[in-house]
Amino acid sequence: MNGENTFQKNYEALISRELLAAWVEGFKENFRLIGPAGGKGEAEFREVFSFNEINLDYQSTMLPPGKTFLLKPVEEILSFNITPGGPVAEEPPLPDRKRILFGVHACDTHAILYLDKVFLGVFPDPFYRARRENTFIFSLNCKTVSGLCFCHLVGTGPFLKAQSGYDVLLTDMGSEFLVELKSVRAKKIFSLEGRPPEGRDLEKKKELELELLKNFRKDFKADGLREVFLSRPDHPVLKETAEGRCLSCGNCVMVCPTCFCHDIYDEAGVSLARIKRMRRWDACQDYFFAKVHGGNFREERQARLRQFVFHKLDYEGQFGVKGTVGCGRCIRWCPTGIDLTEIAKEMMK
Amino acid sequence: MKNPYVPFKAVIRGIGQEAGDVKTFLLEPESGFPPGAPGQFNMVGYPGVGEAPVSLSRVPMEDSDLFEHTIRAVGRVTDFLSTFREGDEIFLRGPFGRGWPLNEVKGKHLVLVSGGLGLAPIRPVVQIADKLKARRITLLHGARDPGSVIFKTEFRHWRKKGIDVELTVDEPGKGWRYHTGIVTEIIRRLKIAPAEAVAFICGPEIMMRFAANELFLKDVPGSSVYVSPERRMRCGMGLCGHCQHGVWFVCKDGPVFSYRELRGYPDALF
Repeated sequence: MNGENTFQKNYEALISRELLAAWVEGFKENFRLIGPAGGKGEAEFREVFSFNEINLDYQSTMLPPGKTFLLKPVEEILSFNITPGGPVAEEPPLPDRKRILFGVHACDTHAILYLDKVFLGVFPDPFYRARRENTFIFSLNCKTVSGLCFCHLVGTGPFLKAQSGYDVLLTDMGSEFLVELKSVRAKKIFSLEGRPPEGRDLEKKKELELELLKNFRKDFKADGLREVFLSRPDHPVLKETAEGRCLSCGNCVMVCPTCFCHDIYDEAGVSLARIKRMRRWDACQDYFFAKVHGGNFREERQARLRQFVFHKLDYEGQFGVKGTVGCGRCIRWCPTGIDLTEIAKEMMK
Repeated sequence: MKNPYVPFKAVIRGIGQEAGDVKTFLLEPESGFPPGAPGQFNMVGYPGVGEAPVSLSRVPMEDSDLFEHTIRAVGRVTDFLSTFREGDEIFLRGPFGRGWPLNEVKGKHLVLVSGGLGLAPIRPVVQIADKLKARRITLLHGARDPGSVIFKTEFRHWRKKGIDVELTVDEPGKGWRYHTGIVTEIIRRLKIAPAEAVAFICGPEIMMRFAANELFLKDVPGSSVYVSPERRMRCGMGLCGHCQHGVWFVCKDGPVFSYRELRGYPDALF
């Protein structure tokens, strides 16, 4: 019986893969659907037009979903029309397209919560805020662990424990998916039909997580780094790694889901009738990043590498959480295989 | 929601030539531009060249909304601004940041130490000196040579206000009547009761470090010594990340910090 009068709204349900597909397909009418697609090699987050394109078993992506779709790599934040009376500022319209960011892993969900702290703080950024408000986050608990993952050491995974800041949580339970509606807006908008989870289902979810936790290979002590970092900022491992291996290419920063730094610069059209003020992801690994007239505060490569390592593993006083979510992307995409967890381990010795 | 990147316009109402490459622009902002406090800064610029952080060298007072920026032409934005004339419009956002802790000065001996252009953000403190109720105010200013001393014509007026002004230059040249040498040497000779002193220091980072150290030798605590470090800034709002120093965003948590807050982080001389 599922008539109008007996309809009962569930906030948690176990549904088959087919039903999940149908459920998600149903959102396409009102939402642009973005999810992990492609499976050969690395999946990537992009717009998908059918649920079949989504790779629910993906391990990681090069570009993180949150940063890529909430803080675009390049965007116009303002423009000026050059008139005879002088430049006149014109605000670009705020993004208003409703979107679903589907299949965001626990680490990447935490990264979005981190970006929220940056861009929705004392000075909220209107573009980030508009995208964030129009984007529903469907998180997905991990099924596999890579050799570079260390979310288990920094409290961000592999199963998502945060209770707010995202909309839906999915767990692949084998034959079924556990779907949990997490946000007030999700509970209001989405209806869920399926078998409500019982004690044994939640037991199974716990077992899946415990099983997953056995597969992590990274280990370092994330606590206690503070004293070591500040007392030994010139530790030889930093110098050796910087001078021997670091190329200052900035890959680590670009693929980092919490790296929020960006440059702001003006772009003039050929006609000079219009100036666009742009922002673009920037990297503290770049030589000019901290340069001012008369000095460069991180002129040495070692200083720039240290800034990345310390900002990710320490400096919790900045936003109350660590800068890393343990996704391992900076290790995976470093052309010379620099591993911040190895640096931390060496410094803790 | 208002786009915080939209700048205000301000008309240049006067230009003072301070030293060879340093000019002071007297600015009248369009209505709605919030008044700044001593130690705060604006992102100053022009469409097409971008923006640069510049501290206020005069703050708006009851009798006037006008304020000043003292700018040395040293980069793309400041080079461009140095070509501007009276009546021209510039664009700015702000005021940003945490200024000097003026409420800690009451009844204290306020020691102002500046080097070179670092006098610019100190000047608004002198401007409102009467309101601070400090027991005593000492200003120690150092410059490279007599020709590069900014606000030259104002020291006499400041002395009349009861402020002890001590000037020093590295290279004195002919006719220089004041001190020669670095500003730390004057601090060394200064009589200070450490528990009653509050210091505001602004200048090159190396100078701020040595000036602060000199005060520490006189037992002034790190929590009473304030500095205003310079960092690259693009937004002024703690978003672009360029000015990060340890856990701090110099733009929104500073630019004025107590020495104690800054100490211990790498990539600085503090």
